[in-house]
Amino acid sequence: MSVMSPQSLPLPSANSVLEIDRLSVRRDRRPVLQDVSFSLSAGTDVAIVGPNGAGKSTLVQAILGILPCEEGQVKLLGQTLANGQIPSAIRDQVAYLPQNFLVDRRIPLTVSELVSLGWDKLGLQFPWARAKARRLAVRSALERVGASKLASRFISDLSGGQTKRVLLAYCLVRSRQLLILDEAPAGLDVRGEADFYQLLYELKAEQGWTILQISHDLDMVRRHCDRVICLNRRLLCQGVPETTLAPENLSATYGSEFVRYRHHH
Amino acid sequence: MPAVDFENMIALFQYPFMQRALIGGIVTGLTGGLLGSLTVVRQLSFFSDALGHSTMLGISIGIVCGLSPSVVVLPFALLFALGFNYLIEKTDLWTDALLNLIYSSSLAISVIVLSLSGTYQGNLNSLLFGDILALQPSDLIVDGALLVACALFMGLTLRTQMLMTLHEPLAIARGVNIKAHRNAFMVLLSLVVATSIKAIGVLLVGAFIVIPACAARALSRDFTSYVLLSAGLGALSAAVGMLASAAFNLPSGPSIVVAQLLLFLGATAFPSTKAFLVERHF
Repeated sequence: MSVMSPQSLPLPSANSVLEIDRLSVRRDRRPVLQDVSFSLSAGTDVAIVGPNGAGKSTLVQAILGILPCEEGQVKLLGQTLANGQIPSAIRDQVAYLPQNFLVDRRIPLTVSELVSLGWDKLGLQFPWARAKARRLAVRSALERVGASKLASRFISDLSGGQTKRVLLAYCLVRSRQLLILDEAPAGLDVRGEADFYQLLYELKAEQGWTILQISHDLDMVRRHCDRVICLNRRLLCQGVPETTLAPENLSATYGSEFVRYRHHH
Repeated sequence: MPAVDFENMIALFQYPFMQRALIGGIVTGLTGGLLGSLTVVRQLSFFSDALGHSTMLGISIGIVCGLSPSVVVLPFALLFALGFNYLIEKTDLWTDALLNLIYSSSLAISVIVLSLSGTYQGNLNSLLFGDILALQPSDLIVDGALLVACALFMGLTLRTQMLMTLHEPLAIARGVNIKAHRNAFMVLLSLVVATSIKAIGVLLVGAFIVIPACAARALSRDFTSYVLLSAGLGALSAAVGMLASAAFNLPSGPSIVVAQLLLFLGATAFPSTKAFLVERHF
């Protein structure tokens, strides 16, 4: 059995992209995460699994500085985050794709404009500042994900698969170290999901991205991820998927009925 | 409709009050169109309308207390915007319901205040429909200053506003302070609505914010051109409306709104004009 207590976690290595140390987070005064510790080495692909309401999205929000830490600390690219404040130089190294990318289809924003927002630093600046460099970066990113033809289309006109492709261009348009994906392929069919992961891992190999992804797809986690973290309000276990996603750990994370269901189906 | 008397029209624009009205209309059209572009896509159109109606209360109190409406209306509009934002965060009510609650009660109180003061009939008409021909040089200075402030705000934060408008969680993850941006936008919008009331009146002020943006949406091919086109159509409709008002001796504020409506109908009916009007940015 590969269940490890948080105290027995390996010490963070020198090339850690993310270190979470005894993190506790409250949402609306209710404790959602307690005493969570783990670290991400550069270039690894780590999945967080757990049932709905386990605190997975809360964990991501705490890492991104959206929710304050009640206790413990988050260290991103070697920098400890104080009161959820992330220096912009560190924040620029992180890309986040949210769980649902539902947009109002009446907003007249084009694919090029969305990708170009990934390139921007979003401070006070006139829109024409560094326009040429931005345009070149956008063109190159769209070419890389095979979406050049979509450049002048409105975001609202894209299919689910095209939207995910464009969102990967949004991450790719600027050099980054860490990608945080919150159920990124949600809403795609089997073929779309396969295409998404193929492109994601090609880009990961090229860019040297470290990936932290929330997922409900345990088969995908087994196929692709280097490590998996089982979360249900607390960190229950972590390790390589083959051993960590053993029935007894899944029972501890999701409940015994879940494992019986998977066994029969 | 009487025939157009061009000589009379040209003679009319020799008068300083007509020149001020034309400039005031164009400046208000530019500012309204600029902020209107974001107001419409953020589904805040009703906010500008409700704000316009609610400022009647501030103006009425000003009239009763013997203060200039221009002095009272700005702080009142600010109070409205910040109070509305506070109530939205503190209550679980729907935005449109809360706006309706605030503006209808403000209207009711303002009519009671005006009727008690004995100035009910005379002031109500100019409050409701405005009087662009009565603009003073000081009004133009305020309008011009607001245009500069709005242009700077939109220019310097446009890319942040784009991301916020598209997807707030994505913007929050990038470190955007949504609350500060939202408050700054609301404050600017409130100031623009409040200063426009003298020229356009509380009933029509919403049109300056909403209609040019809707016309621009029908014509634009990307977000940047949408914002610019909205401001441009706001100014164009103000100029056309003022000229039509002089040519046909029609009320000025409503003429501008009718010009906005015609532009909107034209933009909606002829989507193929997009290709000629809007350049591609990428």
